[in-house]
Amino acid sequence: MAQAQAFETDFWKDANLRKVWDEIVPGEPRKTIPYTLTKEAIELYCRSVGETHPIYFDEAYAKTTRYGGLIAPPSIHILLMFSCTPADDWMRSPGTVNAGQSWSYNIPARPGDEIRLEARALDKFIKRERLFVVHDNVFFNGKGDVICSGRGWTIRPM
Amino acid sequence: MTTTTFDSLSAGDTIDGPRFAVTRESIRLFCDASLDYNPLHLDDEYMKGSFGKTQFGGIIMHGMNNFGLISRMITDWAYPAGAIHRRLETRWVKPVKPGDLIQPSGMIKAKQSTTKSRWVLIDVVVKNQHGEKVATGEAMVEFPMDLFCQ
Repeated sequence: MAQAQAFETDFWKDANLRKVWDEIVPGEPRKTIPYTLTKEAIELYCRSVGETHPIYFDEAYAKTTRYGGLIAPPSIHILLMFSCTPADDWMRSPGTVNAGQSWSYNIPARPGDEIRLEARALDKFIKRERLFVVHDNVFFNGKGDVICSGRGWTIRPM
Repeated sequence: MTTTTFDSLSAGDTIDGPRFAVTRESIRLFCDASLDYNPLHLDDEYMKGSFGKTQFGGIIMHGMNNFGLISRMITDWAYPAGAIHRRLETRWVKPVKPGDLIQPSGMIKAKQSTTKSRWVLIDVVVKNQHGEKVATGEAMVEFPMDLFCQ
């Protein structure tokens, strides 16, 4: 499976390639890229929010649980969102303000999972002079099982 | 310590989440862990500007860092009970900045049984060191019939 090239951490680079609010078409699929979730990426994410539960770190313990092995925290979609979208995706536009999100969890992501994202803008509107876009996302594992699905409300940069 | 069960829960029961000290380093770590390098979280000069009608005056923590902390609170509460974190909806109501100390908490709002399972709805909130709400939302946790306590 193809992997993303080295992740560009300068969000200003390629900024001119990204769609502004006016150009975003609700319903139009976003380009996405596959991503292989690693144990190391899960551990780094866990460290950033202070997750210490052994189900994320201890293989022997994880085998005794309902999941039968290591899993990622449900909120790993925070990482997957940026891992699975290319540098010219409008989610990376500098100044994008996250107003809120809702996510439903089906099965956990696991180390080694080849993650696929189906995503689109679902709606856009203006409220109190702010430009909003609602995005809609579903993450799948390599077997085609839904891991989680969610929506986010972002305020677009002016 | 008593084990949480679906039957033992009542509306109004509370859940305390982890305290989290927000620093420039914790924000940078979240950038690396989430790959979200939006300058809102990195660039003080950029953050001196205005964002439409909003001015932040300096870098802010990722809203999704709140989300991750709430999710951590829910799973740490649910796993020992054999329950499963099924949903989380959040809204950010106030920016969080370096130097802030934040803590999520939850309160059981309702319980409901469906044809094949049992569900608990939890109101969640994250407050800063001044007691101000920085995020609010609602979580849903499933207590399956085949409880598998961990």
